[in-house]
Amino acid sequence: MNAIEIRNLSKSFRGMYAVDNLNMTVPVGAIYGFIGENGSGKSTTEKLICGHLVPDKGEIKLFGKDYSDAGVRVRVGALIESAGCFPNSSVWANLMMQALNLGIENRAEEINRVLKIVRMEDNARIKFKSCSLGMKQRIGIAMALLGNPALLILDEPINGLDTDGMKIMREILVDITRNLGCTVLISSHILGELEKIATHYGIIRQGKMIQELSAEEMDARSRVFVSLKVKDIPGAKAILHDMFYNAKQEGEYIRVYDADDTEAIVKCLLQNGHTVSEVKKNKVGLEEYYIELMSKKEGA
Amino acid sequence: MKNPAMLQFEKPSFFKRIKGMLGVDFYRLFHTPLLYIFLVIAALIPALVSMGAMGGEGEAAGMFTNAWQIVAASKPLYVISDMGEYANMNMVFIFGGIMISIFIGHDYKSGYVKQLFTTHAKKQDYMMSKTLLGAFSMACMCVTYLIGGMIAGMATGLPFEINAGSLICAILGKMIMSLGWASLYTFINVIFRSKFGISIALCFVLGTGIPVIGAAAVIGNTPALNIFLYGSSVYACLSANALSLFICLMNSVVWAVVYNVLGWLVLSRRDCY
Repeated sequence: MNAIEIRNLSKSFRGMYAVDNLNMTVPVGAIYGFIGENGSGKSTTEKLICGHLVPDKGEIKLFGKDYSDAGVRVRVGALIESAGCFPNSSVWANLMMQALNLGIENRAEEINRVLKIVRMEDNARIKFKSCSLGMKQRIGIAMALLGNPALLILDEPINGLDTDGMKIMREILVDITRNLGCTVLISSHILGELEKIATHYGIIRQGKMIQELSAEEMDARSRVFVSLKVKDIPGAKAILHDMFYNAKQEGEYIRVYDADDTEAIVKCLLQNGHTVSEVKKNKVGLEEYYIELMSKKEGA
Repeated sequence: MKNPAMLQFEKPSFFKRIKGMLGVDFYRLFHTPLLYIFLVIAALIPALVSMGAMGGEGEAAGMFTNAWQIVAASKPLYVISDMGEYANMNMVFIFGGIMISIFIGHDYKSGYVKQLFTTHAKKQDYMMSKTLLGAFSMACMCVTYLIGGMIAGMATGLPFEINAGSLICAILGKMIMSLGWASLYTFINVIFRSKFGISIALCFVLGTGIPVIGAAAVIGNTPALNIFLYGSSVYACLSANALSLFICLMNSVVWAVVYNVLGWLVLSRRDCY
C-alpha cells in the first residue's frame, strides 16, 4: 500500500496550471523529499493533498482511500507555509485547540509529549506571537505531530532554523518514521539536509513530476568522480582530456567524472610533471544531481 | 511496517467530529476576550438606549411607555416610525454579526483554518460549529441585554407591568432567532473569509434589518415579512404568544439549514484560501 497515490492531478489559477497532470507515489513509511524550484507546484500539491484546494481534475488517494475520507484525514498532520496558530494565544492554548479538534482524550499528556519532542517544553506559556521564527516552525511541527499522525506533510519545515534546529528536526523526522511508522512528505530547498534523511525523492518542474526515485536509485544513478588538487589546473585538465577523461574545474579542484581508476589518473599527472596535493573519491550529491537534471530538462 | 496500528483508520462519527470542532471553537471563545467584550457591549446598549430616550424631567421622552419596551417593541412593527420601536434586543443581532465576523475572520487570517480543514474532511462540520457558537454567543448577549435592560428600565422610572407569558415568548423568540442570524453571518463570512471588514459591513447592514424595513415601507406592515430573519425577530415582541414562538423557531431552523447547506457548498467548491 502507498501512503499517497496521485494520478493525473491538475490545478490551475486563472488559467495557469500550477499542477499539471501530476502523478506521485509515496510508499508507506517513507521520508519523501519533494524537490522543485520556487513556483514549481510543491506547495500547491501539498495543499491539494490536505484538502485546502479543490483540484480541477485527478485522483488523490491516501492509504488506499479517497483523500476526502474522514477517517484518513484525521490522521494527517500538516505544516504548510506557516504554523497556523492564533498569535495572541499561548503555545499551550494553540496546542490545546488542536488536541480538542482531533478529539484527543489525554490532551495535557499529549501536548507535553509533542512539546518535549520539539524541545519547547519550557516555552509552552508564552504567546505565539512572541516566538522566534525557528520556535514557530517547531510549534508548527508539534501541532502536526499531535494525535499520532499516519502522514505528515511538511512544507519547508527547516526554513529559518539554525544548525541546532535543523539537527533537531532531522532527529524528529527519523525518529517518527523509524519508531512510529509515520510517512513524511517534506519539501525543502535545503537539499543537503534533505539528502541526510530522505528515503525517496520526487522532483517537480512546472507542475509536472519529472522524476521519482528512491534514495538507493539516486545513489546508483549518481555519478562517481575523483577530485584532485593540483597547482596548474589548466595544464592538468588538458592532459586528462588527452587521456579521454571527463575533467572539469570545480574551484581549486579538478573533478574527473565516471573514473574508477584513481591510481592511473594520479600516475598520469605525476608522469607529466604535476604535483597532486589532495585526492578524493566521491559521488555527486542530491543538489548537483538536481541541478544536472534541471539543466538537462531545460536543454531538452 | 513497524507499527501496524498506524494503518488502522477509524472513521469518526458525526458526533465525534462536531464535538472536536465545537471543542476548539468554545475553548477559543472562553479563552479570548472577544465574547466578554461583546457581552459587556450588549449589557450597555439598553443603558445607551434609555439615556437617549431620557427627557429633561427624568422620564422617557415619549419613546417608551413601559420599561420592557427597552427589551422588545410592543407590537410587530416592520415599518419604523420612531427609534423606540427599533431600539431593543434586536440590536444584539447587529453586534452578534460583528462578533462572528471577527471570530471567523481570525480563523482565516491566522491560518488556523488550515489545521481545521486538514483534519476535517467534511466541510459541513465547520459551518455547523460556527453557527452553534454564534447562536450561543448571541443568546448570551440577549441575557446580558436583558439584565442591562432591566437596570436601565428601573433608571427610567417607567412601569414594569406586562403579561409575563408574552414577555417570556418575546425573549425566548429573540434568543431562538440567534440560530438563524448566526447561520447567515457564518455564511457571509465563509464567502469573504479573511476580508472580515466586508463581512462586518454586510452583517451590519443585514443585522439592522434595513432591507426588510425598506421592503415594509413599500409593501406595508404585513406578516409575510416574518419569513425573513429580521421579520421574525420583530415578531417576537411584547404581544407575542406561543404561535409567535413557533414561527420564530421554524424560521430560525429553516434559515439555519438553508445557510448551512449554502455555506457547505461554498466551502466544498472553493479553495480554502
